[in-house]
Formats: sequence, C-alpha cells, structure tokens
Amino acid sequence: MKIKFCLLLLVAAMLPSASQAYAEVLVIANNSVKSATVAKSDLRDVFTGGLSSLKDGSKVTPVLLKAGGVNDQFLSEYIGKNDAAFRATWRSLVFSGQASMPKSLDSEAAVVDYVAHNAGAVGYISAATPHDGVKVLAVR
Amino acid sequence: MLTPLKRQILLAVFALSAILSTAQAQSLDDLNIQVHGYATQGFLYTTQNNMFTTSSSDGSPAWTEAVVNITAQPIPKLRIGVQGRYFLLGNFGNAITLDWASADYKVDDRFGIRFGKVKTPSGLYNEIQDIDPSYLWALLPQGVYPIGSRNSLLAHYGGVVYGTVKLGEKLGKLEYRAWGGERVLGTDDGYFVTQKESGLDLPNGLSGVTLGGALRWKTPIPGLMIGASDIKDAKWSSVITAGGGALQGKEIINPLNTQNFFARYEKDKLMVAAEWNRLPVSGAVVLAPLPTNPLRIDQRAWFAMASYKVTDRFTAGVYNSQSVDHHALLGPARDSLDWAIAARYDFNQYFYAKAEQHFVHGTALDYDTALNPDGLKPDTQLTVLKIGVSF
Repeated sequence: MKIKFCLLLLVAAMLPSASQAYAEVLVIANNSVKSATVAKSDLRDVFTGGLSSLKDGSKVTPVLLKAGGVNDQFLSEYIGKNDAAFRATWRSLVFSGQASMPKSLDSEAAVVDYVAHNAGAVGYISAATPHDGVKVLAVR
Repeated sequence: MLTPLKRQILLAVFALSAILSTAQAQSLDDLNIQVHGYATQGFLYTTQNNMFTTSSSDGSPAWTEAVVNITAQPIPKLRIGVQGRYFLLGNFGNAITLDWASADYKVDDRFGIRFGKVKTPSGLYNEIQDIDPSYLWALLPQGVYPIGSRNSLLAHYGGVVYGTVKLGEKLGKLEYRAWGGERVLGTDDGYFVTQKESGLDLPNGLSGVTLGGALRWKTPIPGLMIGASDIKDAKWSSVITAGGGALQGKEIINPLNTQNFFARYEKDKLMVAAEWNRLPVSGAVVLAPLPTNPLRIDQRAWFAMASYKVTDRFTAGVYNSQSVDHHALLGPARDSLDWAIAARYDFNQYFYAKAEQHFVHGTALDYDTALNPDGLKPDTQLTVLKIGVSF
C-alpha cells in the first residue's frame, strides 16, 4: 500500500501543472533591428546561440525571462524545448567556453525596458504587456 | 619547453591580465562579467569487476567534480574567460586543473577565432563531454569517450577557428571548426594505467602537435545534423622509466589519425544519435638494454542512443556502445559491449539527479588489474547514481 502511495506521489510530481495559463507571446526587438519579420528557424538559432545576426544584417542579442508561463510558452512554441533542455543547451556553450549566458530578467516589464534601450536586443513578452518603444517581430 | 603547469600558469595570468587591463577602461557592468559553475557527486556499484580505478564492487562514492568559470565580454566581439575544475574518479585526478583559458574574437557568424587553452571540438560530444548538467547520461559511451582519458582529450593549447555558412533555404547550414596546437596526455591519463601497473612510468606524460577539423551539416530536415571530424597528431616521443627510475628510455607514438562520423536527430521530445570512431595507434617502448616493445592498437568504437522527455522534468534513454581492438588477442579483453539505461530528473533549474544501469560485456576498457586481483570477469553490471547542481 505504501509503495502504491509513493508511486502515485511520484507520478503526480512528474505531471505538468494543470494551472499553467496560456497567452499570446510577442517577440520584440530594439528599433535598431531593421527587419519586421524573422524566420522561426532563425529565431530558434538566435535563442540557442547559433546565430548572432538576422538575414537583413542586423546584429541581435537574445534576452530571457527567468521563469514563468510566458517563458515556457515561448520556449515550447518557438524554440521547441522546455526550460530544462533550453538551459542545458546554454550550459553546454557556457562551460565549453563558446558563449556567455544571455541576460535573464525577472519581469516582462524589465525585458521591454532592456530591449528598448539596447541595440540589437530581442526578447519575448505576453501580448498584454505594454511595449512602447520596441518593435514587434512577426515570426513566419 | 614549457611544462604543462607553467603553461597553465601563464595562460591564467594572460587571461587575468587581459580582464584587468580592460577593467581599467570600463565599469564592471560594461564588461558583462559572468560567473558560472556546477558540482556533481556520483556513486558507483558493480556486481563483478572494479571499474574506473574505484572499489566499485563494494560501492564507491569516489566520483566528485566541481567547476567554476569566469568570463568577461569587454566589447561585443571579444570574450575572455577561464575555467577551473576539481576532478576525482577513483585514482584519477584528485587535483584542480585548468579546463580552458581563452580569448574568443567572433567577427560574425561566418568567422571567429578562439585561442589559449581551448576545447577540442571533435566528434559529437568531445567539447562538452565533461559538462554533466548538459546531457542525460551519467556516463557517455566509454568506447568513444573514455572518462579516464577525458582531461587529455578535452582540450589543447593553441586555437580554433569556427563559423557557420548558410547553404541556402534548401540545403541548410554548415558549421565548420579547424584547430591546431599542442595536445598533452597527462601522466595520470587512463591510457597509461596498464603501463603503470607493469612498472612503466611517463613522468612528463605524452605531448605533441595536433591538427584537426570538423564539419557539422545542419540539414534542411529540421532537427537532423550529420557530421565528421578528423584529427592528425604528429609523432610523439616522451621519456619513460622503469623499475622506479632504474631504467630510462623513450615511448614513441607514430603519427596518428583519429576519425569520427556522427549524426543526431531531434524532434519534439525525442533525440536519437549515433557515432563511429577509429583510433589506430602504433609505436614502441624503447628501454635499453631490454628489447624494444612494440605498441599496436586499432580501436574501432561506435554507439547508438535514444532519449525521450517523458515530462518536463523527467527524461529517459538507452544506448548501446561497442568497442573492438582489432590488434588485441581474441578473448574478453578484445572488446567491450555496453547496454545502458538512463534516467534524469530535474528538480528545478539548478538541481538534478541521474540514475543509470549498465550491462557490460568484455574487458577492453582501461581496467586497473591491481584492483581486480582475482582476475577480470567477462560480464559486469554497473549502477551509477549521481546528483548535480549548476548555476
């Protein structure tokens, strides 16, 4: 009986939270980025350290949200990884001397502020977050 | 000729002075200084043979690693960094070593150069084989990535040029790496375990010029990467002693060519990968007045692996790894076959645990025969438990 109870607890711990809220995610960029669109494959490469400029020649730098539903949704929808796998990818680069960890911010407002004031910065927020001073990139 | 220790000190000083010199001109925030690290603790248990120079048949916790790095990016195209490591596995390591210390200048995505002590980007996993937080497995396939020789194979003194070339929408991308410098096999390298047991000692290890290149084709099929690498090492020669220094001679390794071919496919929660590797070694141990003892190894190794993310936090996988020395005598010592079942659970962004079960047949791995006084058994089961933290 105890074993069954422990197994149930283990399974419950592994299940994703049912309370995750889903909202539309926007990809935002500093106004120095020329293009208004970005290919999904290029966006994935930018956020996994494989690309530092877009097709239009704009230099770009990814900015991350530390955690939360918007972060999880962005990673799932555009990068194809969950948070643990995504951070494992960056750890490979950081600990092998190939890259520095992208800046990771606590809130969506902080992401908007950082993207607005740093040339080439690219981040992600929920559509409901005010985003004056940055441009929204359409992902195709 | 600089000893490895002197080289390490010089490189560390170089990296530090570069950071300090740029720090005079810029604030710490402008330098984008980052500090990262990780630590792991492993536990090994085997049903028969003692493995990796531990007393694993009694259960051994003698597997500890801790890594810290510091990097600075004074200007967008330049990164400077240094990483140190404490490594203990049985009789291997138990020392702090310099993992890498390099300056990296990336002109653009098509061309960059890294120099100093740098990771050697051969094969599918070589430059990240020591980065435990980045993959599922507690032990990578030992035929291709022997943990006893890891510190020797991971990095070289010299440089790497790298970049990515876009081949067009229909052909994908090609990543290239080319490198050169000096490779150093330390005195405690796993390759020398059996030599040490027979009374032979290489006080300076082995070192020599190394050149190599690697291509990784990110095909237009999303998630599919195919690659190959080739390393050419020049002739190596080093002092060898026997009988506690009573005899002195040379160990000579003829120029050798190491090839790796590999592929990986990732789709959603699934990852499959395979790699084939050949390491042909010829040389001799010359210890006058004893007759010259020839060295001949022709190791072919390969593995196939698959993993699946069962949940966001739980990943499971399996691999089959084989290694055969075509110059060895027929018998269990000629080859090694390993089936491994692995699981990893990430408690959060920082903490994780791994469990792995191996079913090993054959004794071609670098066994310490002194730790197996009753002789090696052809079959061994190995259980590995590991916990890790990274920041």
